[in-house]
Amino acid sequence: MDIVVCIKWVPNTTSVNIDQKTGTLIRSGVPSVINPHDLHALEIALTLKDRFGGSVTAITMAPPSAKLGLEHAIGMGCDRAILLTDMVYAGADTLATSYTLAKTISKLKFDLILVGQETVDSSTAHIGAQVASWLHIPYLYYVVDVNYLGDGKIWAKRLLEDAYEEYELTLPALLAAAMHSTHPRRVKLSYKLRCKSEQIIEVWSNKTLGLEANCVGLKGSPTIVRKTSFVPEVPRKKIVCKPKDVEQAAEWLIKRLIEERLLKI
Amino acid sequence: MNKPIRLEDILLNNVWDVDYEPHIKVDSEKCVNCDVKSCINLCPAGCFTLLGAKIVFSYEGCLECGTCRIICPRNAVQWDYPVSGKGIHYRFG
Amino acid sequence: MSRHFDAIVVGAGPAGSTAAYTLAKKGFKVLLLERGRVVGSKNIFGGRVYSRPLEEIYPNLKEAPIQRWVVKERLSLIHVESNISLDYECRDGRSFICYLSELASWMAKQAEDAGSTVVTEITVDSLVQKNGFVKGVKVGDEVVEADAVIDCEGVNRLLLEKAGLAEELRTDQVALGVKETLKLGSAEIESRFGLGEKEGLSWIMLGDVTEGLPGGAFLYTNSAAISLGLVLMLNTAKALNEHVSRLLERLRLSPFLSRYLKDSSIVEYSAHLIPEASSVMLSRPYSDGLLVAGDAAGYLLNLGYTYRGVDFAAYSGYLAAQAFEKAHAQGDFSKKGLECYGKMLKESFVLKQMLKFKGIHNLLNDRTLFSEYPRMLSNLARELFSFDYETPTLIEALKRSKKNISWLKLLLDGFKVIRSI
Repeated sequence: MDIVVCIKWVPNTTSVNIDQKTGTLIRSGVPSVINPHDLHALEIALTLKDRFGGSVTAITMAPPSAKLGLEHAIGMGCDRAILLTDMVYAGADTLATSYTLAKTISKLKFDLILVGQETVDSSTAHIGAQVASWLHIPYLYYVVDVNYLGDGKIWAKRLLEDAYEEYELTLPALLAAAMHSTHPRRVKLSYKLRCKSEQIIEVWSNKTLGLEANCVGLKGSPTIVRKTSFVPEVPRKKIVCKPKDVEQAAEWLIKRLIEERLLKI
Repeated sequence: MNKPIRLEDILLNNVWDVDYEPHIKVDSEKCVNCDVKSCINLCPAGCFTLLGAKIVFSYEGCLECGTCRIICPRNAVQWDYPVSGKGIHYRFG
Repeated sequence: MSRHFDAIVVGAGPAGSTAAYTLAKKGFKVLLLERGRVVGSKNIFGGRVYSRPLEEIYPNLKEAPIQRWVVKERLSLIHVESNISLDYECRDGRSFICYLSELASWMAKQAEDAGSTVVTEITVDSLVQKNGFVKGVKVGDEVVEADAVIDCEGVNRLLLEKAGLAEELRTDQVALGVKETLKLGSAEIESRFGLGEKEGLSWIMLGDVTEGLPGGAFLYTNSAAISLGLVLMLNTAKALNEHVSRLLERLRLSPFLSRYLKDSSIVEYSAHLIPEASSVMLSRPYSDGLLVAGDAAGYLLNLGYTYRGVDFAAYSGYLAAQAFEKAHAQGDFSKKGLECYGKMLKESFVLKQMLKFKGIHNLLNDRTLFSEYPRMLSNLARELFSFDYETPTLIEALKRSKKNISWLKLLLDGFKVIRSI
């Protein structure tokens, strides 16, 4: 099975340093990482490859610094990595991004596409659905487990709030991996060494793809952010409990919650 | 910068890529009879806290200095570095 | 893995990158392994590097990410609300202030450009030994082999401990350093500290900054940030009855510092262990198929008024690479073949300096030095300078300020200090 995994290069949001004056996230100097949810897509893809053979290609549309993320993907075991980078792709919204990704994927041999559920820096969760639409293939999200059934069919399990659903899909298809669905594997030294000895990360510009400038980047992005407003700060009571043990802490917390009418027993 | 800042807020400035598995494991049973518990004041990230008489350890904010490994008199700390590039990411070290 | 390297270097800090750089320049096939996501992401230090030894190794050191050159040195004894400072200014800077994260990254880039293979995100699990001979390293379930391994894993020498080549570190051998990096405009830094462009200040503080515990505090000026930190000897720090971060906070808020730090904001909080005692030094920093350099070998010198680690680390890595070359020429990577490393170290400034100041550790662990003397000297200054009618003589002032310290102890301690430094 040949699998393509789309990953996004995002600022590491564990450092939530907020500018006191503007109330916005300070992103400068914050190193980027692979969108944590995409690591689950990679893990699911690599597990399928371990079991059923084939190949895994990681692709990302990002500035050249994202090579570092693709090296990590290769380190995990991806066979191939493609970096889509071109000034004309800059400023893309989800429509222009999904278009560029779909056009790239259609140049590749693939049976299955995997993406993360959403990204930590924008959380739109659009990309999976949009790429599937461009390619006219079925799409399933919140996927936690996948199996190959043979005959061009897969079985996938998706997690809902309080239930699991199981599906059978005909390939090609696109799946969005649910967050926390796997334990993404560690990089391997031998795989990382591949990045050093071979020109393993392919860099594709718009020369390679030849897409119309009006359909990509800022020009191809109809989304307009009209206004960003912040949720007003909720005044907190800031009460600290200093319990002797866990039991006492739980008892105290429940009592407080009942007092505050947040809990009914 | 002329007012006190809580350690938790100071730590928020740091960048981590937290692993899903802890790189340090603490056998808090061994801490029960420890009368020094210097880890509480000397772990610079405040990863060791006291809940009642029990030591509670969380690895997420670890600065990977190794202090707990060396000061623990009871050998309760099983210490390793994170793998796969995880853990603290210093930028101004 | 089929790949064989001439040398594997563990850890891309100043020692490791310098060893890899030196070896690669000599044409060896080197693998430099770093556990951080990117080189430098696990490196932290106080802030100052002595440049001459590095210039010998890196002819292009001028291109390194240097923040400021130290032109001002200040040593202060802090006591409650007064303090005594010694200022020294010299325009001919021999040391610079930088972020080790950036310097380590630059050094690894030199190593890579020289031909080393630098791989990040790789935490080495153990040294691979065959009959006591180090043959390579183990990472996860993979083994990679080389003629020799150069271990520059840093102060927490887990690999050496696991292999039984170093004893476990004790609390009396290391100090804990904690640091806040505070963002502040370069114009503010220059006007507040009286510095010109690219000029820097190194400020070491002793006394009440550590609640009288052995240790000290440091302040270094970066281009547009301040590195402010504390160093505490671990064995005495156990007596601390509050969190170590509160001590650093009190220092940041103290009246004599807060005016310098006004409107700055924290951008990072970091911590690291510092090898202190000469007993951390490995008596034999080499073994069959193994060389050890940098903090892992214990090469760091704290004199109380200045710290030296990066130049020692880099230089020991440089010498380890030369020892490797010699051993390679003789085709002997055994203890015997690598013995020359020990000899080169002894002849270099690294070991000469380390041995010269062997006694300093005991002195720096003396609590009177950090509590009684700052108090005494600050009282002395008050007696001498803040009077109403009667000007005291020096001896009168000294008598009044020394309080319960006897003349004999004063004399003996004075002698001890002079002998040690």
